[in-house]
Amino acid sequence: MDLIRQIELENMRTDIADFGVGDTVDVHYLIREGDKERVQVFTGTVISISGSGIRRTFLVRRLVAGEGVERRFPLHSPRVQKVEVKSKGRIRRARLFYLRERVGKAVRLRQNFGKLRGPRAMPKGANKAAPEAASTK
Amino acid sequence: MTIGILGKKLGMTQLFQPDGTWVPVTVVQAGPCKVLQVKAREASELPEEHRQASTNRGRKSGKLERPRRDDGYYAVQVGFDEKPEKASSKAELGHCAKAGAAPVRLIKEFRTESMPSVAQGEDLTVAQFAEVKRVDVTGTSKGRGFAGTIKRYGFARQRTTHGNSKAHRKLGGIGRMYSTMKGVPKGKKMPGHYGVAKITVQNLEVVKIDEERNLLYLRGAVPGHRNAYLMIQKSVKTR
Repeated sequence: MDLIRQIELENMRTDIADFGVGDTVDVHYLIREGDKERVQVFTGTVISISGSGIRRTFLVRRLVAGEGVERRFPLHSPRVQKVEVKSKGRIRRARLFYLRERVGKAVRLRQNFGKLRGPRAMPKGANKAAPEAASTK
Repeated sequence: MTIGILGKKLGMTQLFQPDGTWVPVTVVQAGPCKVLQVKAREASELPEEHRQASTNRGRKSGKLERPRRDDGYYAVQVGFDEKPEKASSKAELGHCAKAGAAPVRLIKEFRTESMPSVAQGEDLTVAQFAEVKRVDVTGTSKGRGFAGTIKRYGFARQRTTHGNSKAHRKLGGIGRMYSTMKGVPKGKKMPGHYGVAKITVQNLEVVKIDEERNLLYLRGAVPGHRNAYLMIQKSVKTR
């Protein structure tokens, strides 16, 4: 296999829950405040997943006091502590940018009551062991 | 001592640092390389067994043993990327065989200030970069063919509208009208062949070393296309 792809697979995380566009998720993200670090939970709807390999990111949208807030997270970042899937949405497109024009009840998505999926299915050749973090010299 | 290593550019990707920052890295297949020859300013500095050389005096006279001449400088000649014997000339085969190595596609010399600490036939691996923070990488840049001044020298583009007539990407004026100095100045930047030149990128950070697979992860870009040959040395600017 292409060695570059192999290297990316080795550094990718396998412990992130499998979620898709339309799902409502809690993202536990490590943030730095001054010199302290704490975990912040960002709850919202995944409206887009883009990028491939280790560059994969997902965009989460939520409404705060009637104002839309979007935040993009790198899926394989060591700062993502945990992603909890709250509910699955039934959707018909890959990117839910139409939600940006909606407020209130119109933002709701139909729920997908299928079984919540387990850990992300990794591509062949992925390192199942804990991903080694890139060392700093 | 870090001498240097020959390698092959595999491609670029990104790595996460433990603090979550993304680092753009070039992955380089570096070595393992064989030391094919050690060059010394004076032949007397070489080990006893390397002080003889043979010259081919033609079919009738045959080979002649003679003392090896002074090289005049110190260097380590290194080979990288094995190739099949049938793709090699007899001269290459003989030269590599002296170091107990298979014939190689790439042979380069690394100059040293004094007598090198390595011997002929020794292996050079990425392990020598374990303590090195920054490196210089030399390679051949991608060929751009016959390129205009905008791509080649970063000249500004001209207007696309407002009466511009077929001069959108032209270089503009090249001479002068009222001056004691006439004509086009020597060395004026003009369109021409661009790329396929020896380029050295200095001060690239070594992000990670994979001794098992002989890989070097360097922060940033290096010259050339994928599978291009590279020369990697300890940075001259950070000692």
